[in-house]
Amino acid sequence: MKSIYLTILAGVLGLCLWCLLSAKKPSAQATAAMVIVPLVLRLFLIN
Amino acid sequence: MKKHHISALVFLALALAAAGIAGASFLSMRKSEYIAKGPGVSEIKMLSDWFPALAGGPGDTEVYILKADGSGEGDASMLVLGGTHPNEPAGFMAAILLIENAIPSTGTLYVIPRANNSAFTHNDPQEGSPQRFSIETPSGDRVFRYGSRATNPIHQWPDPDVYIHASSGQSLSGNETRNLNRGYPGKQNGTLTEKICFGITELIKKEGITITVDLHEASPEYPVNMAMVAHPNAMPLASETVIGLEMQDIAIGLEPSPVNLRGLTHRELGDFTNTLPVLMETPNASQGRLRGRTDEALVLTGIDPWYVKAQKLGRLYVPYDENGHPLEERVGRHLAGIAELAFSWTLNNPERPLEFAGLPSFAELLDTGLGAWLKAPVE
Repeated sequence: MKSIYLTILAGVLGLCLWCLLSAKKPSAQATAAMVIVPLVLRLFLIN
Repeated sequence: MKKHHISALVFLALALAAAGIAGASFLSMRKSEYIAKGPGVSEIKMLSDWFPALAGGPGDTEVYILKADGSGEGDASMLVLGGTHPNEPAGFMAAILLIENAIPSTGTLYVIPRANNSAFTHNDPQEGSPQRFSIETPSGDRVFRYGSRATNPIHQWPDPDVYIHASSGQSLSGNETRNLNRGYPGKQNGTLTEKICFGITELIKKEGITITVDLHEASPEYPVNMAMVAHPNAMPLASETVIGLEMQDIAIGLEPSPVNLRGLTHRELGDFTNTLPVLMETPNASQGRLRGRTDEALVLTGIDPWYVKAQKLGRLYVPYDENGHPLEERVGRHLAGIAELAFSWTLNNPERPLEFAGLPSFAELLDTGLGAWLKAPVE
């Protein structure tokens, strides 16, 4: 179960990074960056 | 490199920095606070000594044993559960004061200060609770965690939509699957929370625990408050205890354990073991729905203008004024209840007495504060 969860999480994190790097508007980049914070914490099973 | 790539990398660096700071803060919650080994502590074991499946995991927790000299099999014993809900700090602190001060002269005292050890490692989301509170002692500040009501989802995930209590089939809200006080008598191959319950039940069975006391707190607007809840088997003992407390001018109600509310200590431990289970509640504004600013001061003092207003509107089940309900008062109520339970037991069972000294009285605790009864902090 945990490996499925982490795989999905890593996929979503990858999409966020892609959004961050491909978006041209700073507001869209900031939004993507903010979404990355909880995803990183979850990926490392911190919180 | 294009301009938007540079800004993306700046945002990424900021996000990783925020994650790093937040991560360090969250990880610090996994470090257990210091509990001193008091003069009455004869042994410290782990819950996994009674249920090995918990060994090394986030549910394993310390069990402090305070055994009187010459006490043995068949003598009276009491198990005290603190930290079933780590956002109810009076239960946790009362357990610590027992460990650091109580000296049994007859019988054995078992104390689990962090019954749900996993729930101490995080806060309830969106509650704005402080991570810690500190208490001043003569030798410096002691710091304690203010945790969550439930097991950390990092340790038990996912929650079902509906939680089915294993032994009764009762349906509850899905997040109650991580509530230790809905999982008794526990399940050997269940979730982490059910396994912790099973471990505690095993301890009670194997050690033949006479009385089990589960220490809690409740929102001031919750009806079962400043009260003792007792299983039918424990009702005679609890009745005498409540009368004894009232004679000390400690107002307390007595509630029968509801037959149709399953998974709680005061119901399941009485049904599935031979122990006499009771649960005690004190008023804690920091977990209430009507509270204002939620900080360390609210945890320590219980002073909240919104609860004073609610009291004036007749919306509360406990008295509430500008003085709040400070932590020393709430801990004092728990300790007085424990002492009175032991006294009432001994009065009725002089051949199997349960007696311990060294604890502050309710009045002493109000007078001196908690810090006077805590050992010196360690670096």
